Amino acid sequence: MSTPAATPSQSRWIVLDRIRNATQSVAADPGQRADAYAALPRAYLRRGALSAEARIKLMIERLREYDAEVIESTPAALPAAIAAQLSASGKRTFVAPEGMPTAWLASGFDWKIDHNLTTAEVELAEGVVTAASCGVADSGTIVLHHSPAEGRRVLTLLPDWHLCILFASQVVETLPEYFDRCPKPPAIHPSDKDPSLGTPAIHPSDKDLSLGTPALATTISGPSATADIEMTRIKGVHGPRFLHVILVRDEI
Amino acid sequence: MSHAVASHPILDPTLAPPFPQAVLPVLRNPQLRKNVSHAIDVIQAKRAKLVAEKKDWQELRSAASAIRAHALENLGAYLEEFETRCTAAGGTVHWAADAADARRIILGLLREENASDVIKIKTMTSAEIQLNPFLEAAGVNVFETDLAEIILQLGDEEPSHIVVPALHINRSQVREIFARRMGLKDLSDDPHALTAAARTYLRQKFLKIPTAISGANFLIAETGGVAVVESEGNGRMCLTLPKTMITLAGIEKVLPRFQDLEVMLQVLARSATGERMNPYNSLWTGVTPGDGPQRFHVVLLDNGRSSILGKPKQRQTLKCIRCAACMNACPVYRQTGGHAYGSVYPGPIGAILTPQLMQMHHAQSLPFASSLCGACYEVCPVKINIPEVLLELRSQVVNQERKDFARFFDPMYLGLRVANLLFGSSRLFHASQRMGRIGLRFFTRKDGWIHSLPSVGGKWTQTRDLRGLPSQTFHEWWAARAAQTSPLSIKEAK
Repeated sequence: MSTPAATPSQSRWIVLDRIRNATQSVAADPGQRADAYAALPRAYLRRGALSAEARIKLMIERLREYDAEVIESTPAALPAAIAAQLSASGKRTFVAPEGMPTAWLASGFDWKIDHNLTTAEVELAEGVVTAASCGVADSGTIVLHHSPAEGRRVLTLLPDWHLCILFASQVVETLPEYFDRCPKPPAIHPSDKDPSLGTPAIHPSDKDLSLGTPALATTISGPSATADIEMTRIKGVHGPRFLHVILVRDEI
Repeated sequence: MSHAVASHPILDPTLAPPFPQAVLPVLRNPQLRKNVSHAIDVIQAKRAKLVAEKKDWQELRSAASAIRAHALENLGAYLEEFETRCTAAGGTVHWAADAADARRIILGLLREENASDVIKIKTMTSAEIQLNPFLEAAGVNVFETDLAEIILQLGDEEPSHIVVPALHINRSQVREIFARRMGLKDLSDDPHALTAAARTYLRQKFLKIPTAISGANFLIAETGGVAVVESEGNGRMCLTLPKTMITLAGIEKVLPRFQDLEVMLQVLARSATGERMNPYNSLWTGVTPGDGPQRFHVVLLDNGRSSILGKPKQRQTLKCIRCAACMNACPVYRQTGGHAYGSVYPGPIGAILTPQLMQMHHAQSLPFASSLCGACYEVCPVKINIPEVLLELRSQVVNQERKDFARFFDPMYLGLRVANLLFGSSRLFHASQRMGRIGLRFFTRKDGWIHSLPSVGGKWTQTRDLRGLPSQTFHEWWAARAAQTSPLSIKEAK
């Protein structure tokens, strides 16, 4: 150790002081910072131009490019579609998020509902079924906000097989459209802490598509992958190796 | 063949040899060069295809550049906002003035946890502060979890790229490392088998080791959130299963608002790996009861960054989002790979970032490791004008060196001082031309070319011929012509 140890508060003061000195000629004053931010150029594509049908088609195409299995269903046929997927998987033990609709819990399988399951219990499950918060067609991305129907992060991480239920009304074309569904978060007060600010529109009747800004979010674009060895894309390193999606036609 | 990964490069800028020296072992290693150029070709082709399909690519670049510049200009305010929000959400924010400070803070946190083992998500910032050797020396076992980082750690290798750090190692070399270190004699060199071996090797570590260290791709001032961008899921494992998470982040990583990710995520994935979106992005805010680590620390690292921030032309260096597009596009990096740069940050961004992080006391050869072709600027998703910064740093290095008394008789500076004198006076200039003509006549062959010069001049003729000086200079020819012809008749001749 060449330098003498600075106390934590000293380091904070030193770093912030250096930054203030370095930026004093360019930093906007607090009142003008929001204006300077609002004036930043944003000429990129915000809204997609595809029809609703083409948007869903694109979402499915992009998911399949990632080797995800996609089937389409309707709200009425969804429970049967889930049961069919579970049967076809050849697996028996599944975990489900605490807030998942009971109609999705197909009979004939071992379900472990996540009432604070231990990591070891989740690790023993062969598969998981969850809802989602949003789908972004442009990149084939599924966004989870880990609401009660989407489950804690560990549920969609340890089981090797993930069946994700995505509604057509949740699918947007561009990434900025997803962010438009997450409006500015409310001002946080020191005592304020809401782990799940957003609830997904999992029922077709729920027309409010606003998601809120998530405290936790995971985006999934195909199964886990690596290209670290000779840039050869290998599916399935640590996350689920198999991603299945049921796209529920709730609005078209 | 299996021992092709041999020479051990030094990635400490204070100890590494200058670039022209460091590059020699690489240029003599055809296997390494083949591995590097293969990997680069694959990434470049994927990136080019996906950037071409993005119709608003230039608009995204402009927005990304402006957001990053704005964040840096207001860095103090945004960092304090991040600190307030992260703390409100249950995180603890630490500030580290330099590498030693950061190492001390992290070790202190590990001691509080009684952690003898720690799992890590790939973070180049931790390599910058040489965290692993420090922790190992303090008795903490460090387990890297990114596939490339495992290859490097088990193979006792050094990273040569910031996104795919083991791109200089091919499959048979990986097989050799894994077979030896994991005790798998029958392992094949199929990348699927190698990846599966890594999955098995790490699974129990993810499930058992309760303390993790990560880097950060972005810090969100507005929410106090932290974002990590990855492909394999090792990041999600480390962010979800342990009880304690320590995130090390450079102070420049902050973004003003959550929504800024709509720009940054689009440009980062395409630039880094040539994907529309990388498999996983994780965003978390402080501590979430019942989900993930219940103790969360962020260490904000300065380590030379604030000194870059204060220099208007150089500030743009800190806009970097570590996508590595510049090194993939660089004709120099393509030939040399990353080790010759003597830093964990290689390629064009490393050539400007490393000497600046060293406050221009080390790595002075790096700004010269470029042809100034501008390919790096063209692909940079946040529009860092790397050639401009390279030139600025070159002038600083030269100004530093020419004032150095020890270099007074350095042939280059001696030559430049003489040239300065000659070019300053037309009389001396013309005299030197006449003398040069006489002097060089001795070396000029019958074909009019000089093939070999002695001393310093040999550095030129080693690799190329030099045309002999003509018997008349342009000035002499012009003066002779003007004496024969009146200005009026020149006009008529046109």
